[in-house]
Amino acid sequence: MDTHELSPPDSGKLFFSRFRTLFRRTVFFGSVVIVNIAASLWLADLFWRMGWQKAHFPLLAIFVLLNGLLVLGSFHAIFGAFDMLLGRKRSVRISNLAEGKTGPLTRRHAVVMPVYNEDSVRTCARIEAIYRSIEATGHLDSFDFFILSDTRDLDLWVMEETSWTNLCRRLDAFGKIYYRRRKTNENRKAGNIGDFVRTWGGAYESMLVLDADSLMDGADILKMTRVMEDYPRLGILQTPPKLIRGSSVFTRLQQFAMRLYGPLFIRGLNFWQLAGGSYWGHNALIRLKPFSEFCELPALPGREPFGGRILSHDFVEAALMVTQGWEVWLAWDIEGTYEEAPPTLMDHLIRDRRWCQGNLQHMWLIFARKLPFSVRMHLFMGIMAYLGSPVWFLFLLLGTWIAWDRYHSGLSQLPFESYADRWFHINGIQQSLILTAVIFALLFLPKILAVTGAILSPKTRRSFGGMFPILIGAFMETVVSMLLAPCIMAAHTLMVISIILGRAVGWGNQNRETDGTSWRDAVRFHAFPMILGAIWTVVALKISPKIEISLVFTGWMAPILLGLLLAAPVSVWTSRVRYGRALAKRKILATPEELNIPAVILLADAATSAVDPALDASLNSRRGIVAAVVDPYVNGVHVSLLEHAELTDAEEILAERCLSLGPAGLTKNELSELLYLAPAMLLMHRAVWLRSAEGIHSVWTQAVESYRRRLDHILTTEPT
Amino acid sequence: MGPARHSLNTLRPLNEEELSEWEEAYAAVEAYLQALRLRNRLLVAELVRSILWRASARRAAEPEKAARLLAMEEALTEVAEWTQDVLDVPLENRRLAARGRLALLLVGMPDKWQGVFLTPSPWPPAFVEAMRKSYLAAGPGFHELTMVPKPLELNAIGSGAAQWWETMDRKPIMRIMFIGMLLGIIAITVWYFFLD
Repeated sequence: MDTHELSPPDSGKLFFSRFRTLFRRTVFFGSVVIVNIAASLWLADLFWRMGWQKAHFPLLAIFVLLNGLLVLGSFHAIFGAFDMLLGRKRSVRISNLAEGKTGPLTRRHAVVMPVYNEDSVRTCARIEAIYRSIEATGHLDSFDFFILSDTRDLDLWVMEETSWTNLCRRLDAFGKIYYRRRKTNENRKAGNIGDFVRTWGGAYESMLVLDADSLMDGADILKMTRVMEDYPRLGILQTPPKLIRGSSVFTRLQQFAMRLYGPLFIRGLNFWQLAGGSYWGHNALIRLKPFSEFCELPALPGREPFGGRILSHDFVEAALMVTQGWEVWLAWDIEGTYEEAPPTLMDHLIRDRRWCQGNLQHMWLIFARKLPFSVRMHLFMGIMAYLGSPVWFLFLLLGTWIAWDRYHSGLSQLPFESYADRWFHINGIQQSLILTAVIFALLFLPKILAVTGAILSPKTRRSFGGMFPILIGAFMETVVSMLLAPCIMAAHTLMVISIILGRAVGWGNQNRETDGTSWRDAVRFHAFPMILGAIWTVVALKISPKIEISLVFTGWMAPILLGLLLAAPVSVWTSRVRYGRALAKRKILATPEELNIPAVILLADAATSAVDPALDASLNSRRGIVAAVVDPYVNGVHVSLLEHAELTDAEEILAERCLSLGPAGLTKNELSELLYLAPAMLLMHRAVWLRSAEGIHSVWTQAVESYRRRLDHILTTEPT
Repeated sequence: MGPARHSLNTLRPLNEEELSEWEEAYAAVEAYLQALRLRNRLLVAELVRSILWRASARRAAEPEKAARLLAMEEALTEVAEWTQDVLDVPLENRRLAARGRLALLLVGMPDKWQGVFLTPSPWPPAFVEAMRKSYLAAGPGFHELTMVPKPLELNAIGSGAAQWWETMDRKPIMRIMFIGMLLGIIAITVWYFFLD
């Protein structure tokens, strides 16, 4: 019997035993709980010593939650370090599982790239690089590629068609690389993937889901597909993508931090999740049959923003797989997996707005039946990634209030006996300093462990350019991330409030390249944190009638206040590409991928197959829709991809309107309708060439003229 | 290549207005051939000449039609008919024109086969074979899977919350009451813990 047809409980034993899973999770979360309880009791004891007041109750409750999150994050790094040092043999290595397997793949696999209003030339360059990289492994026959467009910009749609056609022509890949655009983008990215699964999914064992900015190495893709074929219980194989191509200071900081500290967290996450992993939406291999069977997303109760369609579909899809007994692994040792990051803080926060709403929707799933523990933990961590900010904000606000109240109430600070004093013989200041030191240790331990590990490992040290670039980069990243944290906290707090107030988010495409944020935009965008910072600074300076106490309090709050006050300057400065390039020149914040560029990135950089002057819809004189009407080849390609239909009188009138008024004279819906009508596109192509300037809009005649100008240009520039 | 033996005598004698009209027709045909990425100026000139000759012959029978219209009709018809001969497929005219242009692009006519374009048969077998194989497919044959959403099974708390949430969505008064109650609880909490 074919093992691939079996349901997971019948298809072989679990890769990770139940005992091992239970043991690891008990150790990990037990440690988190113990440390959190200890720190919380220590703070409660300190409050008791200072003189307990009612306001300490909510402050302590918030501390338990916030400190729990901090310990949870920090312990991922600590357990990651432990796993790296001691657990090498016990961790799943996809490379090892695929080792020694050289024969042909037995199943067919699809590489799918959903796109939404992206630069088609860059998208196709990535597809080309992955295609060539798989081709180099000699297993290209087992793969098909799909560009799944949900693009709403009609000009970009036409450009996608021309880029794809050029790509296929150059690679001789007609019948290997396919392009499909959805007429309506129902249910966004999840709907786009779902549409692929429903239409073509039956032909493939698995699909490698990419993002428009994803890149993956062919050899690693091959390893993953081999593992997918060999382990029939495996449902999703998620890779940890590395950030690449950062030009601005902001992206360089992000990619350096993720590259240096990321592996520790990834290993720590893998330590406890084992087969109950999560899916991050891209750079992951998914088995299609269980995905189609279980991963059609249910609608949530009520309307958006909390109800309706699930925005952050990936976590939920993994949750549904795990719930049904399929295994979801994190392929932590896969190296050749890359993505790009938003170039500026503003772009990062705009993306976060979408993710925030999606993650907050997951609150419904916390109340779902039959979800395994690991799934609930992933959902909880995803929710708290955003909900943590308003909680932190509240904590700081309460702390300020208590300090204000204490200094202005005129109450004397009566010494109370405490357990810390009785057991350790320390005074109140020492007790608070110890707690502060523990908090700082939890905050910085991951960075310290990662930096120490990188310096002590010769291979890693060399890959980052040496010890000093690592130290300088880590110092710089720490300082800037301290400045950014309060601004992000304020922004996330606003996001959560706006979502609670019922404001749903649209679906924007990501800005992947920029020259930087303007001062005007930055001040407008970061007005809230800056005003908040100014008010908070005034309050801090007046927290006590005694100026020295006020200064101490302000100094204590300085990292927060500075981050808020400097939100706009930091946002502008970190967005600058020229500063980023200056840092790159000095190898500061350099990553191994920047210093030793992987083959697939070089392939993507060199990829130009999507560009061909013979088929081009990107020229200013005839861009997108205009090219689809005027240019004989662009029109030929566009019409060939449409279904044949008869033209009604109303549609003919619409085409005539477009000819006389130009594309700008029609609504977007009308234009979209027209672009889907093959006879209308042919009629318009013929008309713009047959009619004189009087009969049609100038946009068409100018486009026709642009071909002549090219000839005239050649004639006038040739030497006599 | 176009029939160079044909003279343009049918055009003569031309007044200034007619000259200007035929100049526009020439420019349009030349632009179309440029749009087909024909780069060789000798070929372009020959093709324009042959197309204008046929347009001028039609002009005698259809004097009410503009020279540009006649010339471009001839150009589009010639390209469509020639590609029909090469492709040997029965398609209606406009659809065939698109199919023909696509085939010209995919075989790389502007780079490899300029000299063959619009010439009478026989054509090089490699060219004919490449033209006939040139087509676009947005996707392979369908291999469908079904995806049916399964309703979310909520526990008792979740079900209660979902019912309450949907009720608030349906009845704005309930939503207002709920928000009012929530604000009241927050106000009482703040007063109790911080102001009392």
